[in-house]
Amino acid sequence: MSGPEPAIAVAGATKIYRRYARESHGTLKSALLSRRRSTRGEGGVVALDGVSFTVAPGESLGVIGSNGSGKSTLLKLLASIVRPTRGSVAVRGRLAALLELGAGFHPEISGRENIEITGLLLGLTRKEIAARFDEVVRFAGIEEFLDAPVKTYSSGMAVRLGFAIAAHSDPDVLLVDEVLAVGDEAFAHRALEKFSEFEQAGKTLVFVSHDLGLVAERCRRAIWLDHGRLAADGPAGEVVARYRERVAAEEGERRTAGAGAGGRIGSGVASIEVVRLLDREGRPTSRLRSGEAASVEMVVRAPEAISDFVFGVQISTVSGTIVFGTNTALEGLRPERLAGDARVALEIPALDLAPGVYALDAAVHARDGAPYDYRRDVLRFEVTAERAGTGVWSPARRWSFSGGIRWKE
Amino acid sequence: MTFLSPLSRTWAQRALVAALVRRELAARYRGGSLGFLWSFLNPLLLLLVYATVFRFVFAPRADVRPYALFLFGGVLVWGFVSSALLDAVETFRSNGPLLRKTTVAPEVFPAAAVGARLVHLLLALPVLGAAIVVATVRGGVVPGAALLEFPIVLALLALSVFGAALAVSALSVHFGDVRDVVANLLTLAFFVTPVLYPIEAVPERWRWLLRANPFASFFSGVHDTLFHFRPVASSDWLWMAGTAAAALAVGAALFERLRDSLAEEA
Repeated sequence: MSGPEPAIAVAGATKIYRRYARESHGTLKSALLSRRRSTRGEGGVVALDGVSFTVAPGESLGVIGSNGSGKSTLLKLLASIVRPTRGSVAVRGRLAALLELGAGFHPEISGRENIEITGLLLGLTRKEIAARFDEVVRFAGIEEFLDAPVKTYSSGMAVRLGFAIAAHSDPDVLLVDEVLAVGDEAFAHRALEKFSEFEQAGKTLVFVSHDLGLVAERCRRAIWLDHGRLAADGPAGEVVARYRERVAAEEGERRTAGAGAGGRIGSGVASIEVVRLLDREGRPTSRLRSGEAASVEMVVRAPEAISDFVFGVQISTVSGTIVFGTNTALEGLRPERLAGDARVALEIPALDLAPGVYALDAAVHARDGAPYDYRRDVLRFEVTAERAGTGVWSPARRWSFSGGIRWKE
Repeated sequence: MTFLSPLSRTWAQRALVAALVRRELAARYRGGSLGFLWSFLNPLLLLLVYATVFRFVFAPRADVRPYALFLFGGVLVWGFVSSALLDAVETFRSNGPLLRKTTVAPEVFPAAAVGARLVHLLLALPVLGAAIVVATVRGGVVPGAALLEFPIVLALLALSVFGAALAVSALSVHFGDVRDVVANLLTLAFFVTPVLYPIEAVPERWRWLLRANPFASFFSGVHDTLFHFRPVASSDWLWMAGTAAAALAVGAALFERLRDSLAEEA
């Protein structure tokens, strides 16, 4: 990590919660009567154990891990809601935490009044709130309900409003905890757009989610917490893949040899034994640079000769959007005979995908679509690029200018 | 002076405290059709009850007349003290989600609890003013300039209550029975504080005991400024200022010590 000072620096952070924290409240009487001092230090629940990492300004970091792995505790430490038992946590710049959208809302008072209070809670001044007010209301889409008490809002409206306020609080560091799980599809889409804007504006994003696909897609980097310890730290695609492997192994559900966690259906008349992604030198890889040549290679097997077969390949984002798909039938190839072992390769001279993580499906099926072997999400790969952009397509491109336009060197 | 940092944090967050107070008041009155009128109606009804009861049911004290007016000022101010402290006990429970899910400085909640009750008291003052006018017209009292000392008495009292509110709010997170302890102490304090009676009614040799009660000087001050219209004794000023300083220091220090665990245990 070179360059400017980190936006977030966590060093050896350990958080131990006292064991009886929530279940049994002590009483003042018993505390006064018993001579024993507090039970602090007699052990407790270790929620986070010596976690260290830094996040550079403008970086987006995904945090994954099973329930109880310490993700929420980490966010609370970052938001300085709780302090580490040992170690240190430092965040530079204004921080906004979306730990629970609309947590600050009071049901009896109007949306207008709640915007002001929540803004103040997020550290805005009243002037700043007034300046952003219209934008917040527009983003949340609650114009007609502005003066109605929040208790009359639908849960979707409350969530949108909570998100809108936090998103417009102009944070340098944004902490997001599972907020996209509660909104509808349209809201999730707008929220994701907002996150992209943040990234492009050089803001730091820490994103906790159980939606591994989303983490792999949205974040360059991810950390994996396991029982309070840092189990992995690296490119989001790799960390997610490793985590998936672990989960699959733990559940004993690894039915396929591939890295993907997808399903496999088909009659088995023909089967796909191996699917590999090859780079321009023909080496198997899971990381490609945008614009370089790549090929998808399949080793297929038909125990008995068949004359009706189609090979297909489909690339999707990990959140499920189909980016590209084709098959031999669509390309006008007419099958004659497939027998024994065979190799199929789809060569792509320039893989113009935008940076991100993609999932690949491979299939061999009959011309009427009946699958012989359809392997969903059989492998995943990450595309990197020097230049950022939105969307899934990153074509070769160049700007040209004429007239009175000049750019700084 | 890190033990005083809850005070500086509260000051830094005063815009938020003010907004929370407004929220509290707005939420309280939004439900009812009479709205803010209740702030006047409640003390007015209280005053009418006193005036009636001490006219027709109990013989009023002969040494302080009109007794209803004497009672009214003290009871209003005592109402502020007790309701502010009881609200402070509950404040982290009722604001639990905010405390656990936002980066808010927890000091703002006891501050807002005290602030909201203070505003209630201020809203009742016009009724008290009207009562003084009525008593004056009927020849019961002769108001004087000492009335202007009341805001200072109230300010010192509010600071003391805020100090106590910091302490009880933080303690209540750790101990389930703080509410009962506070409620009982308040009931006890109500009777050993000159709220219902003038301090002169206490035999001379026991008066020192009453003076040891930190509330006593405040209520002497309330009665001096709102009923007798005589300047507050300098010994009372000293007691009040000392109580406010001690309450703020102890409350802030206790709060600071328990502060880290508030979000974990609330």
